[in-house]
Amino acid sequence: MTAVMKRTVNLMSAPPTMQPGGYVPVAYADRVSPLTGAVEIAVEPMGQGWRVTLSWECPEPVRDIATETDRFVDACAIFAPTDPESPWVTMGAPGQAVRGYLWRADRGEPWQVHAEGLGTMQRAVAVGAQANASWDSGRWRVVFTVPDWPALTSQRRLACAVWRGAAKERAGLKAVSPGWLEFA
Amino acid sequence: MKYEVPRPERQVAMVLDLNKCLGCQTCTIACKKLWNTDTGTDYAYWNNVETLPGKGYPAAVHDPATAGRTTGGEVKRGVLPNLDEGYGRAWTFNHRQSLASAGAEEKIWIKPAGQVKWGPNFDEDQGTGTYPKDNHYFYLPRLCNHCTHPACLDACPRAAIDKRREDGIVLVDQDRCHGYRFCVEACPYKKVYYDHVRQVSAKCIFCLPRIEEGVAPACARQCPGRLRFVGFRDDREGPIWKLVDHWKVAMPLHPEYGLGPNVFYVPPLSPPKLDAAGRPTAEPRIPTAYLESLFGAAVHPALETLRAERAKRRRGEPSELMHLLVAFEWHKNFRLEPRQREVLS
Repeated sequence: MTAVMKRTVNLMSAPPTMQPGGYVPVAYADRVSPLTGAVEIAVEPMGQGWRVTLSWECPEPVRDIATETDRFVDACAIFAPTDPESPWVTMGAPGQAVRGYLWRADRGEPWQVHAEGLGTMQRAVAVGAQANASWDSGRWRVVFTVPDWPALTSQRRLACAVWRGAAKERAGLKAVSPGWLEFA
Repeated sequence: MKYEVPRPERQVAMVLDLNKCLGCQTCTIACKKLWNTDTGTDYAYWNNVETLPGKGYPAAVHDPATAGRTTGGEVKRGVLPNLDEGYGRAWTFNHRQSLASAGAEEKIWIKPAGQVKWGPNFDEDQGTGTYPKDNHYFYLPRLCNHCTHPACLDACPRAAIDKRREDGIVLVDQDRCHGYRFCVEACPYKKVYYDHVRQVSAKCIFCLPRIEEGVAPACARQCPGRLRFVGFRDDREGPIWKLVDHWKVAMPLHPEYGLGPNVFYVPPLSPPKLDAAGRPTAEPRIPTAYLESLFGAAVHPALETLRAERAKRRRGEPSELMHLLVAFEWHKNFRLEPRQREVLS
């Protein structure tokens, strides 16, 4: 298989001031620099499906938060637009959805995700999809294998997000790609 | 992008008379057994009773540094309590070994398994001061305040928290919640809890199914001290309006955060401090400044009113306020009309 995309992407912090509600934009206004600086991303076609590999530096992995109230797990997500006009920074908009996959370090299987704007993400069982994750020498490597992803197949671009659990990143507190990442 | 908080048609509320709380924890158990027996909320008490002065539950809850609001009511980053030093992990006990030793010569006593670091009521009945001069403590029962401007609702990026139009009860939609816990962090009262098994937030629902039937919440209905009053804020015939708005002897906890709590407290009177010779002074044992740090400046006239009305009763004069607070007619503690079904006489 030949990768249609293989590159290092410098990430940006998702703007806290855009987050829904009155608390996060103010309480986390200082989160302007991404805690994960870059991600290596590779996209490979696999028949009707895709294989997407993300790799990023994470010196202090958090794999499990069972029986804890103040800890958050590491996670990452990939998503593609369903419409050419779907905005990436807000994870879509009403009628302009984004669809993709969410991996969390405390789960064996990824979720399939659908969003039409900030705070609207729906999680569902990702039938047939896999996320194989490993952490070694201070880096996470997560390989998504997706049997069918029409949004990526038709739009041929995607975005990614990384959450660092040790820094209590969750929801809109995350490092994201600075726009859609396109491939031919 | 702040949310529009719906203005409820009515607001259900509670008043607790701290002069009558004896710290028996019946309310705590009534609530816990009714709503919180799942593994993921083993540590959580939607209703708790803490000894003050003390650390509270979770520890440091009365420290403004942990609140998601400044004391001027502005948003700031709050603190997420942890299990070890905040809530305290639910203890497990060696029941099996202890029971097995019943017939043995050497008995094994029941004790917690593992090291116990902290827990709710770890500082129960400690209080402060020097015996016999000025030692003191009192009990503070706490539950969600179902605020008029809920910090939890404001904090949820998924809009998973709602304030009901019909009665102002604040609820978490656990189907929408993704367990981000900004609500726990933001609430100065730390009355939203994280279910660490289901990975969603959970909180007091003011016994919503009971309220809908006109029945008071379990914590209030089970209270042996008859110190809780339940009703609607706008009911001028009810105990809430009388105590909060008419007599002005009940006030919210930490009004400085500006959230408009709908749970109110009648502040505790206390016996006088003693001087060096052991004679009573004019100063109460519980410093009024401490009560002001909890209930705001309105505590001063409230205490004056309580003292004046109590003095009237001592003189044999009638006092509507004392009659209400003593709860001679307990059924009048709860007024949830028009669907009132409490018949206790």
